[in-house]
Amino acid sequence: MRQRFSLLGLLSVLAAIVVFASACSGGGQNAAGGATVVRVNERDFRITVSPARIHAGNVQLVVHNGGPDTHELILVRSRARLPLRADGLTVDERVLEHVTAASVDGAGPGAVRRDWLHLSPGRYELFCNMAGHFMAGMQAELVVE
Amino acid sequence: MRRQFQPFASGGRRTIVGILVTFALFSALSVTLSIWTTKGSQHRAAVVEVAARQRTLAERYVKEILLARAGARVDPQQTASVMAASAGALLNGGTAPAVWGDDDETTLPAASGTVVRRQLEQERRLVSDLQATGSSVLAGRPVAAVRLRAHEHLKATSPIDRLRVLSALTSNVSLNAARTIAAADDQNVNHLIIVQAVLGALGLLVSLALGWVLIVITRRKTEHFRSLVISSTDLVLVLGPDGCRYAGHSVGALVGKDESALLGYGYEAFVHLDDRPALRSAAAHGGPREVVFRMRDQSGEWRRLESHLTDLRQDRLVRGVVLNSRDITERVELERQLTHQAFHDTLTGLANRALFRDRLEHALAHSERSGQRLAVMLADLDGFKQVNDSLGHDAGDQLLREVGRRFSRTVRASDTVARFGGDEFAFLLENVTNEEVIGLARRLLDQLALPIVTGGRDVALGASIGIVLHTAPGSTSEELISQADVAMYAAKDSGRGRYELYCPEMAKEVGELLEIEQELRLGLQRGEFSLHYQPELDLESERIVGAEALLRWQSPTRGLVSPARFIPIAETNGLIVALGEFVLRQACTQAAEWRKAGLVADSFVTWVNVSAKQLDRHGFQTVVQQALAEAGLPAGALGIEVTESTIIERGAATDHARAELADLHRQGVHIAIDDFGTGFSSLGQLRHFPIDMIKVDYSFVQGAEHDAKDAAITANLVNLAHALGIVAIAEGIESPGQLSSLQSLGCDLGQGYLLGRPMPPDQLEGFLSQRRSRLVDGKAVA
Ligand SMILES: [Cu+2]
Repeated sequence: MRQRFSLLGLLSVLAAIVVFASACSGGGQNAAGGATVVRVNERDFRITVSPARIHAGNVQLVVHNGGPDTHELILVRSRARLPLRADGLTVDERVLEHVTAASVDGAGPGAVRRDWLHLSPGRYELFCNMAGHFMAGMQAELVVE
Repeated sequence: MRRQFQPFASGGRRTIVGILVTFALFSALSVTLSIWTTKGSQHRAAVVEVAARQRTLAERYVKEILLARAGARVDPQQTASVMAASAGALLNGGTAPAVWGDDDETTLPAASGTVVRRQLEQERRLVSDLQATGSSVLAGRPVAAVRLRAHEHLKATSPIDRLRVLSALTSNVSLNAARTIAAADDQNVNHLIIVQAVLGALGLLVSLALGWVLIVITRRKTEHFRSLVISSTDLVLVLGPDGCRYAGHSVGALVGKDESALLGYGYEAFVHLDDRPALRSAAAHGGPREVVFRMRDQSGEWRRLESHLTDLRQDRLVRGVVLNSRDITERVELERQLTHQAFHDTLTGLANRALFRDRLEHALAHSERSGQRLAVMLADLDGFKQVNDSLGHDAGDQLLREVGRRFSRTVRASDTVARFGGDEFAFLLENVTNEEVIGLARRLLDQLALPIVTGGRDVALGASIGIVLHTAPGSTSEELISQADVAMYAAKDSGRGRYELYCPEMAKEVGELLEIEQELRLGLQRGEFSLHYQPELDLESERIVGAEALLRWQSPTRGLVSPARFIPIAETNGLIVALGEFVLRQACTQAAEWRKAGLVADSFVTWVNVSAKQLDRHGFQTVVQQALAEAGLPAGALGIEVTESTIIERGAATDHARAELADLHRQGVHIAIDDFGTGFSSLGQLRHFPIDMIKVDYSFVQGAEHDAKDAAITANLVNLAHALGIVAIAEGIESPGQLSSLQSLGCDLGQGYLLGRPMPPDQLEGFLSQRRSRLVDGKAVA
């Protein structure tokens, strides 16, 4: 009797795991829907993008904060050099408003955020605009062909 | 003092204790969790304050560096060391120094939580980088050479810009660390609220479940005991191996003490010494099922308790033998009284005819075995009637009592003296010789010759004594008594104040028995017998509900002969059977006529007396059925009256009679017990016999008005009848006083000269139609 119970429990747990996993992976594929997944890793004080070169079209941006500080992410079709505010510590986002492709709010360490965009060809800059973070090296480049 | 065993309270108490304990456990758990959860939050406010302060310190440090470089007297190192110490304290615990002198040092606990610790470590590194860069600026060293530890890749080249970036980074991480701490706190509080709510709900559920389970268990366990104790109004005792474990309130009330006084062996103080071992044994062995014992009540009288035992020694809750007792003292006393009444003459206290016959039969049986002689003597007082008539009944009664006393003194202790009614006394003498009997007869006459003072006069009496010596085996008690009677008449005939020994010639000389017998036979053929009917009335509505058929013999030579005279003779020679058939047919025919004429209601019952002899004959049932069929009378319109002795203690004959009556009862014929209260030994015997009505003997009825004892007996008989679902009728109501007494005693029906004498059928018809209007009214209402 007891054995049957534990077996039943094990089976149900297994079934739950399988259903959950398939739902997750299925959801990922569906959500990507042929979009290119761009993984962005942030940490104090660096941003890495993979892949750094993609084809134009739908993009799923997956932003992971490796910490320890809080980070945000802004994606702009960049010019040569990003303009700074008067304090000299942060990028002037207002000037870049019309070229901003995505803006992912700040989140604590360990957070994973996603954004879906359509990117046309061009050169893009990714940066964190928390006070001093851009100046401390949180900047990366993405090329869309 | 032993604690009162409380079979119900203990269950309830246990349930409540269980619920309370559960609540306490959950409360303790909940409080522990709260303490444990909030312990870490105790210094949170201080931590957040110190963390937020770092931002100000970082900005101030940059300003001070600039001021110092411009030559102002400021001490950025001081600020830097405070910032560094605070960062260290935030991470690993310790004292955060005071700033600006207006706040106190703050003692902080070490940071817990991976995220917070990583952020605080980064803060410490940034503070260190800030400080190193600041020092380089002040010292004029190239800031690019400063080795940075917080993984920052500074784009700025100017030292001041680098300082400002580092300060901003420090501020940022400080604030974020503070936010993380606060958020963790919020989360902890949220968790705590959820945990508390869950714990509370769980505690409540578990308590309820526990309570319910306990109640179910307790109820199941006490159910049996409860049924024993609650459902009865009995006196309840629970006896265990160490004495009384429980005593009901009613037991306490009986003995006039608090129940606790009965616990342990306390109860034995109230139990009769002779009954104590029986109770102890019952407690030890769980049996027998019935025990009768005596308990002393508060007035010191012994009450007789009949107990039913239930063995619950194995029941964990009871652990004893439960005694459900009823106080049967009154019942036993009533039975004793009635038994005494049944076998004794109330006036003299001597044995009566029934007891005398009983003893005589025993003596006869004994004498047949042992060969010992026995003698029966009958004495009839001479001249008593005259005394009674001239001095009154009271004087007569007094006289009879005195005679009884003298006779009792004169005989041996083993002899039986009885009064047969009137002035007739009987003696049973066992193991005697002729000479002894004659000697006794002489002494009795001598005793009577001594004057008796009564009614203010000296009265001397004589007596005629008839003696029969039992020599020939096979004689019955009836034969002996009637032989003694013959001898007594012979003594009377030969002059008063004499005794005569019976000899067979005497009977022939007297010959009356034979004569009467002969005349009875002829009378039946010549139609000298007829029935008279005495009405029976409902005492409440005064409706006539029935009539008793009474046999009359109008002899051409003897005139009207009393049934008391000829029925015993008819019983000895079997003529009673023919007479009985005559009565049955006649009564049935008459009743059918009345019904056809519409004179009586359908419920009207015509009652017929049936003797034991009739019943003993096989085929009595058939006779009744034939009589009913011939007359076309439904069985329910006929009632049969028998005497108690007919259906009680006559051995096999009783069984036969009972069976016959039970069969008739099933067919619808009503059954009544005549002369009730005068001749039975146990009330319980009536319970198993199909009876519709009892007739309370006229002797009680006539006493009911003035004699408290007779009234009590009548009331008891009526109550008994009602308890058994039987109608009670009072015989011989002669005065309005008697009638109202009986009405107040709750007697259902009545019969007597006051309500209607026995009358010929045509006269009764008149009587009925007189009352007919009332009868019809009664029917219409019903
Ligand atoms: Cu950042």
